[in-house]
Amino acid sequence: MHPYRDDAPPDDPGDRDDLAVDVVIGVVGAGLLLCGPTGATIGAILLAVVLLSRSRPRPGVALHVLERVAACVGPVAAATAIGVLADAHLGLPDDAMLYLFAIMVAALGGRGAGLGAAALSVAAYDFFFIPPRFEFAVAEAHHFVTFAVMFAVGTAMGTLVVRLRRTEAASRGRERRTAALLAFTSDAASAKSVGDVTTAVAKNVQDVLGAHHGALDTEARELAAAIEQQAGVAIARLQLADEARAQALRAQAEELRSSLLSTVSHDLRTPLAIITGMATQLREALPDLPADQRESLDTIVDEARRLGNVLTNLLSITRVESGAELRRDWVPVEEIVGSALDRAGVALAGRDVAIALEPELGVVVDAMLTEQLLVNLLENAAKHTPAGTPIELSAAKDGERVAIAVSDRGPGLPAGSETRVFEKFFRGPGARVAGAGLGLAVCRGIAIAHGGDIRAGARDGGGATFRVWLPGGDPPALEATA
Amino acid sequence: MTEPVDTVLVVEDEVPMRRFLRAALASHGFRVAEAGSLREAERAVTEAPPQAILLDLGLPDGDGLDLLRRVREWSTAPVIVVSAREREDDKVTALDAGADDYLTKPFGTSELLARIRVALRHARAQGGSAEPVMVIGPIRVDHARHEVTVGGAAVHLTPIEFRLLALLAQHVGKVLTHRQLLREVWGPRATQHTHYLRVHMAALRRKIEADPARPRWLATEAGVGYRLRDE
Repeated sequence: MHPYRDDAPPDDPGDRDDLAVDVVIGVVGAGLLLCGPTGATIGAILLAVVLLSRSRPRPGVALHVLERVAACVGPVAAATAIGVLADAHLGLPDDAMLYLFAIMVAALGGRGAGLGAAALSVAAYDFFFIPPRFEFAVAEAHHFVTFAVMFAVGTAMGTLVVRLRRTEAASRGRERRTAALLAFTSDAASAKSVGDVTTAVAKNVQDVLGAHHGALDTEARELAAAIEQQAGVAIARLQLADEARAQALRAQAEELRSSLLSTVSHDLRTPLAIITGMATQLREALPDLPADQRESLDTIVDEARRLGNVLTNLLSITRVESGAELRRDWVPVEEIVGSALDRAGVALAGRDVAIALEPELGVVVDAMLTEQLLVNLLENAAKHTPAGTPIELSAAKDGERVAIAVSDRGPGLPAGSETRVFEKFFRGPGARVAGAGLGLAVCRGIAIAHGGDIRAGARDGGGATFRVWLPGGDPPALEATA
Repeated sequence: MTEPVDTVLVVEDEVPMRRFLRAALASHGFRVAEAGSLREAERAVTEAPPQAILLDLGLPDGDGLDLLRRVREWSTAPVIVVSAREREDDKVTALDAGADDYLTKPFGTSELLARIRVALRHARAQGGSAEPVMVIGPIRVDHARHEVTVGGAAVHLTPIEFRLLALLAQHVGKVLTHRQLLREVWGPRATQHTHYLRVHMAALRRKIEADPARPRWLATEAGVGYRLRDE
């Protein structure tokens, strides 16, 4: 699954011994070639030693020790054999070279093997080649230099090999940890939840840090930091994805709600149009109807219109609550007031509506929605006050905003309901007037959507005042035209 | 009352709605042709061109706006869109596509007939030569002399205000969209600058209307455009 993960067991030091033995066989082979049939006896002994050292598997410690001894003894014995044979047949100038080579070969097994081989070489060289031959005596002092060189080579080679091996082991460890870190990164990247990330941390932290006990070294601390960072990135990514998903879901729900409402509105409007149309048609075709029947027809028409207004309000509230972009334009307050009064004309019939606007007032609003807001405030005032009582509409600058107020001389608001009147479907206690309780909620929604505000309160001298604040604006500069 | 009988084509897929429209129109002396789909409507329009069309936008085999655009390629017969879509975007789209008016469901008989009469009067006025002087209520617009009086008193208008009023008067009773007004008065590059229009309309209202906050003649269709009301 993870190409970087190295599942091979840690390095086996036995491999090194194998190498040494192979070299020995090579050397022995060369020796046999050199000595020909006359060296057969010594060659056979050496071969036996080598074969013994190669025996695998090693069942116990005894054999393992034997093997290590053989790795020391083998090269030295081979050098001795070659030296003796070469002396007899070719007359090599200095047999010490052979022992140096043997020490180097043996030192591949480590410092101990190098030193062992050096000691053996000194002994063998002294015994076989240094006069007096075949006894452990040294006549000339310069041979001690040779011995010293042999020990030096053994130590140096052994140390070198050990150091090499340590470096190699370290780089293998690093490689393993890097692979594990990569594996962790890949696990974390494919994690589908924060739980997956923590699982990946738990699973990989051991691999990445290695078998550490106690305090962590610098490298391990860096790796731990890398894991921490990767896990953090993975969790942040998951949180972002969660958020995006939630947002998409919200948008989808909003779209659904909006399209559902416009479908409902559309499907209700056609039957409403038929009801209104037929009722007005009847009213016109039958001018001599008795008063009560005529009133019934009027009621049908009025109620159908009211239902149409509820639909308009439902659509408006959906529009502002969906957070859809408003179409903000600079609009003179006078213009919006004019069109709102016109649309609320039926509800305001028989009323004295006083208008007091500061001159040159402008607001930066969505004209259609703001008209709807004012229509609702006017209709609300008309609905909750006795027929014929006056209504006043005023507008004035209030800092950066424009405050538009609709005031009446009705019974005023029930105590404590000043904010609750703007809640959806709120209806005053013991409300005599029919209504869905949507109109003022729509007002509030539209005001808020514009960054404005709306408040209701008692009016001095009796009645209620509804005041809405909308962003004001000066008339835009006109380019000189015509 | 010896005027020729006008034929109104009703394009509407809801049968009861069609029945109401037919009854209302027939009782006021119109001849009524009916179509329940785009295809039927296209055939009816070409076989016996009506004097006016009542067009529902949501038809079973397509959008009524497509029919409107095709009809406008060769006919100036007034088209009144009748729709359950109440958003100002829908109105603006239909009006800009060449509809003469837009009626949002529900509506009563009197509203329907008033709109049809305005549209027919219009179509006839445009057939003949433009009247040099138009009178709408107390407003008298003299196109040739660029003069306007309200209730007999001369009103001084700037050239832009005059052009706006003259344009609305030419289409009296009909909504002109912001885009249409801007294009006619300021030119095709100004169609986004609705604030020009609002500033000049406000000035015009102050000069024409007795109470500019309660305009009797210069009506605003919020988010759509303006209309000079008929008497």
